Amino acid sequence: MGFSLPGIRRMLGIASCALLITLGSDATAATLRVGITLHPYYSFVAHIVGDRAEIIPMIDADSNPHGYTPQAGDMMRMTSMDVLVVNGIGHDSWAFEILDAAGMRDKIPLIYANDGVSLIPVAGDNIGEKIVNPHTFISTTAAIQQIYSIARSLGELDPDNAEFFRNNARQYALEIRKLRAEFDEKVSGTDLSKFVSATMHSGYDYLLQELGLQVSAVIEPRHGVEPTARQMADTIDRINLANVNVLFAEKYFASKLSDTIRDATGVEMYSISHISSGPYTPEKFADEMRENLNTLAQAINDVAQDSV
Amino acid sequence: MSTTTYQVRPSGSRFEGLILIAITIVMLAGLSLYVEERGRNEEPEVLYGWQVSAFSSLTGADQAIYNSLYTVKDEIPYIYDDINYFNEPGEKFHWPDLADFQDYLLPPFFQDTSWEQNGSLQWTLYEPLPEGEMQGSTMYLGTDGQLPAQGSFLLVIHHVHAGFTNTNSIMVWWNENNHAEMPESGFRDSLIVRGWREVVAYSGDQEVERIYGD
Repeated sequence: MGFSLPGIRRMLGIASCALLITLGSDATAATLRVGITLHPYYSFVAHIVGDRAEIIPMIDADSNPHGYTPQAGDMMRMTSMDVLVVNGIGHDSWAFEILDAAGMRDKIPLIYANDGVSLIPVAGDNIGEKIVNPHTFISTTAAIQQIYSIARSLGELDPDNAEFFRNNARQYALEIRKLRAEFDEKVSGTDLSKFVSATMHSGYDYLLQELGLQVSAVIEPRHGVEPTARQMADTIDRINLANVNVLFAEKYFASKLSDTIRDATGVEMYSISHISSGPYTPEKFADEMRENLNTLAQAINDVAQDSV
Repeated sequence: MSTTTYQVRPSGSRFEGLILIAITIVMLAGLSLYVEERGRNEEPEVLYGWQVSAFSSLTGADQAIYNSLYTVKDEIPYIYDDINYFNEPGEKFHWPDLADFQDYLLPPFFQDTSWEQNGSLQWTLYEPLPEGEMQGSTMYLGTDGQLPAQGSFLLVIHHVHAGFTNTNSIMVWWNENNHAEMPESGFRDSLIVRGWREVVAYSGDQEVERIYGD
């Protein structure tokens, strides 16, 4: 499906005017040092602040943010931050351990990126109770909500640059929306009626839900917790019963479980990025989200092809 | 041969038991205080009868549509500024229409594959009247979703200039009637009478409060 962009051009025109006005002012007085806990927040903040703030990742780039064990160097980094952007709803609980250990909990302002996000429960939960899903950063809509929220909070801390941050946030939001439009061009007109998916863990719920792709089964009973033999058998039964034909597994954190599921059910496996590993770069979120959307489009088209 | 038994008691034995009890009491008190101050608050969301929880009650497509509308609440004021930026002096400001939303690729209005997957809701704009009692609200109504058990949605923008609120406020309502008609008024009581229920998000700040008590 094609799309026309007069509104986008209009917005970019206005943003450019605002940018020129802002560039003309004295905006280099004091540089804010913004700490971040997760890779997507590095990209979000980098796009919002441009060169008007310094970004300090809280942990090393090659660390696994799942079950991270705080290191002494983390506390040193923390002392150099003016503000810290956190997920706050369960994906960076180690950050609060570091804050407490360093006695900085009440000394560094925290920006809770998810303050304004409407949360969803973990899909396909085995126990039946609704557990909050903290993976709001693996999405487009919830990511945009967080970008606006972070930009607003940074603007309150740095009022001279508030308008600059807001305009940058809008342009970045638009860039993310274009990723979805690119995805749509790849799947438009494809029959999705046979597409039934399962996921290794709940990390992709926000993304799949906003695209209208429902999850029929989640393998891990909790994020990072392997299922018992009984739970595994039940999940395999559910996958077979629901005619699941696609399994989404984690790209960076390999698991033999996904191979077991594939062997037992015959589903096709595809890898999705958690956007939680590798170097911190401004483009990481958009690059890996584009890759994820391309993978989803590939899976959708493969299922449609196999169904013919 | 007789044996003499001596019982040797430590000099502080009279106080050991008391000290042990005191330490235990202090530890229990400290633990209680910690739980009181930092413990998880597991109280469920409190909703009125005319509200519905996006987290607990809405599912699948309706939850996705609501979450898109929730973000739209932040974006509509920006788009409003954009589309009125080049207005001539005296030209009347207007709120974005459905074509504007297509230009901005804005879900849940943008008609792409995700829109189809989430039920292909048909959206209608209710323009606010320029004056009179009913001038206060701009409304976007989404109906006729194609999925089972899907409801209707209503995004209501209450305008400050109409004296409705102190600030422009944006609310999202849900109606289990899939073919709900455009209400005559965006006022709360009027909507409730017609079967509309305000959708309430379970947002990150509530979860932070639950986990950390901050």
